[in-house]
Amino acid sequence: MSAAPPIQVGFEIGGPLGVIPERVWLAFAVFVLAALLAWLVVRVNAGLLRRAGLPESIEGTAFERTVRGIGTSTVAIISQLSGWFILLLGAIVALSIAEPTYAEQFWSRATGFFPSLFVAVLILIVGVVVGDKIELLLSERLRSVKLPQVGIVPTVAKYSVFYVAFVLALDQIGVATFALVVLLALYALALVVFAVVAGKQLLTSAAAGLYLFLNEPYGIGDTVRIGEERGVVQEIDVFVTHIESDGEEYVVPNDRVFDEGIVIVHDD
Amino acid sequence: MSTPADLLDDLTADLDAVFVFSPSSGFYDRFEELEGEVVVIAPENAVDAEQFVELPLAFENIRDRIRFGVEGAMDRNLVDDGDEVGCVVSVFDGDHDALVRVRADESMHSGVYDLFANSRADPGVIRDVFEVVIELGKKGQKGKPVGALFVVGDAGKVMNKSRPLSYNPFEKSHVHVGDPIVNVMLKEFSRLDGAFVISDSGKIVSAYRYLEPGAEGVDIPKGLGTRHMAGAAVTRATNATAIVLSESDGMVRAFKGGELILEIDPEDY
Repeated sequence: MSAAPPIQVGFEIGGPLGVIPERVWLAFAVFVLAALLAWLVVRVNAGLLRRAGLPESIEGTAFERTVRGIGTSTVAIISQLSGWFILLLGAIVALSIAEPTYAEQFWSRATGFFPSLFVAVLILIVGVVVGDKIELLLSERLRSVKLPQVGIVPTVAKYSVFYVAFVLALDQIGVATFALVVLLALYALALVVFAVVAGKQLLTSAAAGLYLFLNEPYGIGDTVRIGEERGVVQEIDVFVTHIESDGEEYVVPNDRVFDEGIVIVHDD
Repeated sequence: MSTPADLLDDLTADLDAVFVFSPSSGFYDRFEELEGEVVVIAPENAVDAEQFVELPLAFENIRDRIRFGVEGAMDRNLVDDGDEVGCVVSVFDGDHDALVRVRADESMHSGVYDLFANSRADPGVIRDVFEVVIELGKKGQKGKPVGALFVVGDAGKVMNKSRPLSYNPFEKSHVHVGDPIVNVMLKEFSRLDGAFVISDSGKIVSAYRYLEPGAEGVDIPKGLGTRHMAGAAVTRATNATAIVLSESDGMVRAFKGGELILEIDPEDY
């Protein structure tokens, strides 16, 4: 290191500090700026997430409970993630200013990699939280169904979401995920086929029910005949129509209304 | 020298079951050790009690509350006819402060449990209608007392035993009691004459209905007006439940099978 006088930057830095080259000062300033920016982004992000009602909507998920257990929260983690990202970027820029030769090589690789890593981590966290939330919501909905085996549905849904998030995250950081994607596609296809085959009747009924809802060709209290059943309409919902006569209540799927048509009886 | 506990000993002697009304978990823990039946009666089973009767309304009247609990427990065979039951209740706000000893038998039976649990309409729908009516009774319309008549359940038959007084504002609408907007809406519509008809699943089928069932054999307390008579009569002719808000005395009364089952004062809720 030569003892050359410090370069003039409007003012003279004297004493022992004067020996530090100016580019180090610049790098230091960049780093401090990045730190400041990171802090600001963390604050703003946390505020925004809180404003958007994130803490309430993910309350009770396993992820939130775990991070609460280690004394932080999902909001804090997500907002701090962006902060760390900016800080890291600042550090790289600062390094490249201070030691151009060393950082140049690192720079080209790292700048490409860090954003994807950041996105991958974000996807993972969002995936885990969404999966947890879906499990929670489903089990809440299914609580009235008193069937022990039904407990598998929320779990399957949760791990499906985890899996998708996992594949997306791996894809982000450039790991070969082709086999996993094929597996996912097969799984999704099976699900669709299953839903269509099993739920065909329900789907057609719901479509017919939608028409009945919008147009209301018959209402509660009308006497109608659908196929062989004749009676007074007691209830219409999306899937079925309840028809009652002489204390017998027929529950007719709505697609039959379209299959066979209905007769509205105007006077007995 | 005798202590109050000695004197009141016969209150707790030979109880077949103990009913605890709306206990906190700490309070309930004390009863778990008890041999014999312990039944929790509360709006929700917060203490995970094995034997539980859901209370749809926080009955202010202790007699109604105990009746509901006893009838509910009898209906579910938690207690048998003739069992001696000790009811631990809170009469004034706050902690449990009273023990009432009752005998569970048919004479207790007023039908208040059946009104909610075994009506044609869903229990939740009946509860929602009660809530709407109580709200209406408390606030009235623009500060003036209003009357209202809700016929819940068996809507098809009710519609056939009534006729419209004017255009039905709920035609082609899909509004259910319990929807958040309904309170305001019904408050506005309550100035209309006639009855509201609500289906088993809670859909508001019609307003402005003039009920015309036969009123033979309907026995309601003398002094109640035409609205109550119409409500009681329609529940006799159909399987519906009628919930009536009286304009003159502000009471909410529920009829089923042509009989007055429950009478509550909205101001208590």
